[in-house]
Formats: sequence, C-alpha cells, structure tokens
Amino acid sequence: MKRILSAALAALLICSLSPAGDWPNKNINMTVPYGAGGTTDLTARSIANGMSKVLGITINVINTPGAGGSAGSLNVQNARVDGYTLLANGMLAFTTMPLNGYTEKTFREWDIWIATYAPNGIIVPKNSPYNTITDLVEAIRAKPGQITAGTAGKGSGGHFGAEVIKGVAGADYKHITYAGGGPAVQATLAGEVDFCPQLLAEYKDLVIAGEVKALACLAEDDIEVAPGKVIPSILKAYPEAKKYIPMGEVTGILVPKGLPNEVLAKLDAAFASAAKEKDFLDFAAVRSFVVIPKGRAESQAFLESFASRAAYILYDAGAVTIDPAKYGFKR
Amino acid sequence: MAFQYMLDACGNVLAPYNLLMLIMATAAGLVMGVLPGLSATMAIALLTGLTYNVGDHQTAIIALLGVYVGAISGGCQSAILLNIPGTPASAATAMDGFPLAKAGKGGLAIFIATTVSCLGTLLSVVFVLTLTPLLTRFALSFASWEFFLLSIFGILICGALTARGNALKGWISGAAGILVAQIGLDTVDTFERFSYGNVNVMSGIQLIPVMIGLFGFPEIVLAFKRESGGRVLELTRFNIREGFRIIRANLIGIARSALIGVGVGIIPGVGEDVGGWLSYWAMKASSREAASFGSGNPQGIVAAETGNNSCIGGAIIPVLSLAVPGSAPAAVLLAAFFMHNYRPGPLLMSESPEFVYNVAIYLVFASVAMWLLALGMARLTVRVLTVDKKILMPIIFLLCVIGAYLINYNLFDVKVMFVFGLVGLGMSYLKVPAAPFILGVVLGPMTDANLRRALRLSDGSFLPMFGRPICVAFLAVCLFMILSQIGLFSWWRRRRAGKGN
Repeated sequence: MKRILSAALAALLICSLSPAGDWPNKNINMTVPYGAGGTTDLTARSIANGMSKVLGITINVINTPGAGGSAGSLNVQNARVDGYTLLANGMLAFTTMPLNGYTEKTFREWDIWIATYAPNGIIVPKNSPYNTITDLVEAIRAKPGQITAGTAGKGSGGHFGAEVIKGVAGADYKHITYAGGGPAVQATLAGEVDFCPQLLAEYKDLVIAGEVKALACLAEDDIEVAPGKVIPSILKAYPEAKKYIPMGEVTGILVPKGLPNEVLAKLDAAFASAAKEKDFLDFAAVRSFVVIPKGRAESQAFLESFASRAAYILYDAGAVTIDPAKYGFKR
Repeated sequence: MAFQYMLDACGNVLAPYNLLMLIMATAAGLVMGVLPGLSATMAIALLTGLTYNVGDHQTAIIALLGVYVGAISGGCQSAILLNIPGTPASAATAMDGFPLAKAGKGGLAIFIATTVSCLGTLLSVVFVLTLTPLLTRFALSFASWEFFLLSIFGILICGALTARGNALKGWISGAAGILVAQIGLDTVDTFERFSYGNVNVMSGIQLIPVMIGLFGFPEIVLAFKRESGGRVLELTRFNIREGFRIIRANLIGIARSALIGVGVGIIPGVGEDVGGWLSYWAMKASSREAASFGSGNPQGIVAAETGNNSCIGGAIIPVLSLAVPGSAPAAVLLAAFFMHNYRPGPLLMSESPEFVYNVAIYLVFASVAMWLLALGMARLTVRVLTVDKKILMPIIFLLCVIGAYLINYNLFDVKVMFVFGLVGLGMSYLKVPAAPFILGVVLGPMTDANLRRALRLSDGSFLPMFGRPICVAFLAVCLFMILSQIGLFSWWRRRRAGKGN
C-alpha cells in the first residue's frame, strides 16, 4: 500500500514538473523592483502587455520596491529558474549592485533583452546666466568646485550625467544630492542649484513649457522634444565627450541564465513582437525614450561597453570602493 | 468652457459603474484609514497597481481620488475612539477627540470630524480651481533653508501644544523623534548611521510601526490598569443639531484651517499630518477657550480635521501644475496619473484642459460620498466602545501587530513596534507626549537633509538663512514661541507690574 501511494505521489510530482516544451502553461510574474507608476514600471507594463499577446498567457507585473531596487532584483536572482519569474530593471543598477557589494553577479549571469534608452539631459533654471552647454562648462572651468549640480544621489542616473560634465570640463562641480529625481528637478525650478543632469524623461514637459532651459543631452544625436524644440547633443560642442556617450538609463527584461533554449526562443519572439507594438512605441515617444530593441547576444555586447563606462565613472568619482577590474570591466 | 468640462465630469461620475466604483473605493479608503498601520499612501499605492487594467481611465481616477479622501478622513474615528490615530494625519484629532469620547461624546466627535473633513476637502477644491498658478509660485520659493526651518517650526508647535503646560517635555520628545529618524542610510551621502551592520536597521526605522507602538501600547496597558470589568466607556446618544451648531459657530476657524491646510499641502514634502497640527495650533492661538484645548474642546477637532483634509486639494495643486507632489500620498497619485496616460505638469492645461476640472469634480463627489459612508460606518465603529475591553484590547493588540507587519511584510517592523511600544509606555508614565515624537520621525529626514544640503550650498555659512524673507518669518515665530514658553514674557510683565506698584 505504502509503495503504491509513494509511486502515485512520484507520478504526480513528475506530472507537475512540466517539460519545457509546454512553457508557458500558467501566468508569468514580472518583478519591477520599484513602485507602480514609475519609469521602470510603466516600461515593464507596456512590454508585458505586448509579450503576453504572443505567449497567450497573462504576465502579472509585481512591484517590490525597497533598498534602491536591489530587493526585487535579488528576489528574482534567488528564485527558481523556470521561466515564470522575469525581472524588469534599469541596467545602471546592474553596474552599481556588484560594485556596492550587494551581489557578486553582474549582467553576464543574466539573459537580457534591452528595450529602451533614456538619455541624461543638462538643464538649468529659467533665469540662469548659462544659455549653452559651453557657458556652463566654461563656468565650471573658471570656478572649479563651486558650480552646484543637483542629483538624485550618489550612483543615481543624474550622478553619472554630472560626472560626464566633469570629464568634459576637466574640473569638478559641487555635488548636491536630493531624495530623488523629483526633488532635484524641483530644486532646479527654485533656482537652488546651478544645473541638474537628471534623465530627460523626468522633466521633459518643464523644458517644453520653458520652466527650465535644456542645454544639452548626453545622447549621440539631437533630441526633438516638441516640434521646433531641439535639445542638442553634447557632441556638437564637445566631440571629445564621445568616450562617455551615450549616457543615461537603459531598461530591459532579464532572467537569470539557465533556461532551456526552447523557452528562451519563445521569449525572444515575444519580446521582438512586443517592442514593435504601437502602444509601446507611443508610450516611448511621449516619454522621450529611444526604443533600441536588442536581442540577447546584442544586449550583452552593448552592456560590456555601457556597464564598464558607467562602472569607471562611479569608481573614479569615489562613489564605490570595489574596483570594477574585479568583475573584468575594461576601461 | 470650464462649465462644460465640469458638466462632463459630473456626467462621468454619475454613470452607474463609476458611481459604484467611487463608493467602493471611498469605503475601502475609510476602512484603511480607520485601521492603524494602513496609511493613505499605502491605500493609493495598492489601488494604483489594481487599476492598471481598468479600461476607462476616468473610472480609475475616480477610484483613486475616492480612496485618498476616504483614507485621510477615516483616521479620525480610531483617533477619537481609541486614542490611536488610524493614519499619522489624524494625530492632532486625538488631542481633543479622545477626551470627548471618554466623556461619552464619541458619536458627536465623529460627526463633527467627518463633517468638517468633508468641508475641508470641498474648500480645498475651490483653491484647486482658482489659485493654482499663484500658489504654486509661492511653494516653489521653498528651498533647503525654508524646508529646514519649516520642520523645526512644526516640531516646536506640536511640542508646545501637546505637553500640557510643560513645553520642554514636548520638545524633548520631538528631538528624540528626530534622532530616531537619523537611523539608517542618510539621503545626502548614503552614509550608514547607527545601523551596526544590520541590514534591516540600515533601511531605516519605519514610521508606521513606531506610531502604532507609541500610541497603541500605552492605551492597551492603561485600559487594563483602570478598574476591571464593565464597559470601557459609556456612550450617549447625540443630537445632530448640536453638531451643526458647533460647526456653524466655528466657520471662521474652518476657513482659516482650510487655508493653512491648502498651504501646507502645496509645499512639497510636508503633508496631511503637518496640516492637522498647524491648523490646530492656529485655532488654539486664536480661541477664547484656549485653556480647554486638549481636554475635549470640539474646536480642536474642527481645526485638525479641516486642516488635514484640505491638504488633499493643496497637495494635488502642484501635482497638476508642475508634476511635483505636495505630500506622500500625492506622490503615489502622480505616479498613478502617469500610468493612466495623463501627463500632469505645465503642459496639462494645453494638452488635456478637462483634467483639472475632472479632478476637482471627482474630489467633490468623493468627499460627499465619504461623509455619507463615514457617518454610516460610525454607527458600527462607535459600538466598538461598548465591547468589553477584555475582548476589545487583545483584538486591538492583534491589529497593531498585523498593521506593523503589513508595511513591508517584514517581521523586523513588528519588533520595532514592540520596542517603541515599551518606549511609549515609559513616555506615558513620565507624561511625555508621544505626538511630537511621531512628528519628529516624520520630519527628521527633512530637518537633517535640508540643513546639511543648505550648509553645503553655502560652504558652511548660516548667513544665507537670514537673507530669505520666509526664513526670517519662520525664525521670528520660532523665537517668539520659545521665549513665551520659557516664561520670559510673563516674567517681563510681572516686573513691569511690580514697577507700577
């Protein structure tokens, strides 16, 4: 009797462990390590909608904010690799997490599909004396360490942007940190800081309305935020900034490596189709995200250069103490 | 044009499905507001995720505003009946609400609180529709020095108000709260403070567990220390006419509190809790019955509840005009607006001009729905008082534990709740008020980060503070308050009187 029971139990277990060919046979969870309504969340939901149409199941977006995004990422990293737990995150986090010692794993341990790129911009208050990026850089050169930059804190997207300006000017700025991108932009509106190098998506409407002046963007090409309103690329004035550009946040979908090939192939197809959905493209256009859909191999190649650039910017700024060389990042 | 938009908005909200959603969301908000530990911010955040797939964006916006109004208003019921504020916003309401409930007037207190909550929200809507651009400009002139002084000002006021004659005790309590807020990663340099390598401590002490511990524990323990058996409190029926009479007698106070609430609401980073305290202070300062504040004066409830509810409209003003949230719940609301394809900010009036009117009209309907639902619910909640405390108190204790756990689904927060429960018990024996402590925890990060940021901007000089008009006004009021509390003025008056003789 006992033997029959255990055999039945084993059979049941085997049945429940569905072979990879069946994937997906239930709903998939996509973890967003930030709150609902944020940039990462909206990107994730938009892509999840497109992917679920192809896969024929629902993708539930789950928000697990906490510890600056590391909590949700580490949850997925430690979850069972069965293709039912996906992560949507910005790639800067995957540079800062290992360098802060939160995890030993870099982006190389993940299969990644990159969806969007959101460039940094450089804005100044409406009544600022600086009208071009050259004005600002010259001011930093003339008064090293006195021109203030308001960012969302050490290791934030804005900090990367400020470090690029420092590299171009060859002189330091004064770093003033705020509790987030919103408060940093607000301080710029109030005229408390000289410039703000946060992501363009965070204040695009203020630029269009003329509440702040946008001097440059840290993308390779100029960006037209509204008809006739163009933000020039920093390369126009400083071609030597090429080694830092493009800088900004890159967002995509990730799973820890180890999924069977047929599951990955289905995800490839679903992602490629989702990145072409009209809803997604509209959403990206409204927020001034550049859609740069990249498959798994392409994403890895892109991140090798992007992450090492970001890692050394942080390391040289003294924001992290672990040497990026430890993870094989090359200058 | 504006009239047409408003009419359309009324049509939207009166559609049967939307009306049902409004009622359900407002009721859910009220319940979350009543339960200590479930805050307005959390209620809106939960609903934001739930409404993503709602097809009609208007339905979602209606539900979100309903839950916001409900959650801010529901907190008064537990503050009045149990002396445990349901949300930090209603801490000031407990000051006079609980003494009234002890005197058997819990029903009256809830009626007044709910009615002025509704009035407060309605008055703030008027400001949303009229003064948006002007008020936004004023709020934007707040920079690091102003935020620093505002937080000091708030704690000084709260300390002086709650300490029953010994302001020093209130201020000590507030300072202790600010110190607790320094634990964890700081926001200026992300430097670990007082964490001793513990990951949980590193992410900081959460406000809600501290609040539940400080307010909940002493009530539970003291309830058992009072004579045993029988009912906790006697409850008498109240006359609705009396309620309306009190409200009519305080119309000027309501207008003033609404103005203060809207103002505090607009300023980014300070929200409903500070709004309640500042209006309470202004009411007490101008009242002829100032002495009876804190021992069950309905004027205190009127001020606190008008003040915190009018913050709702206030906090929404900068969301709409600049996409800068005026309070924590409004920050989540802003995220939700984005999710539903609205882009609040300077372009809103040209891109979707109807949206401002929609929000205003939905707020009006939400506050009326809240009034009806809350009074209906109060018939149930006031009966809580008639439950034997041997049954009631263990249930409340359980709710305290669950409330603390629900913040992050983390048992560490429950431990924090226990620790601060013991601290709260000690404070209640020493007659040190708990409210300034809570406000200190709320405003502590603001005090610290803004002072250090301001000093970094000025290369360590305090001088720029004296060159800013709003700062000077704050400094003057703070100085006046300290001097009057340490008895300098009465000493001076006595000396002059002595010379006269």
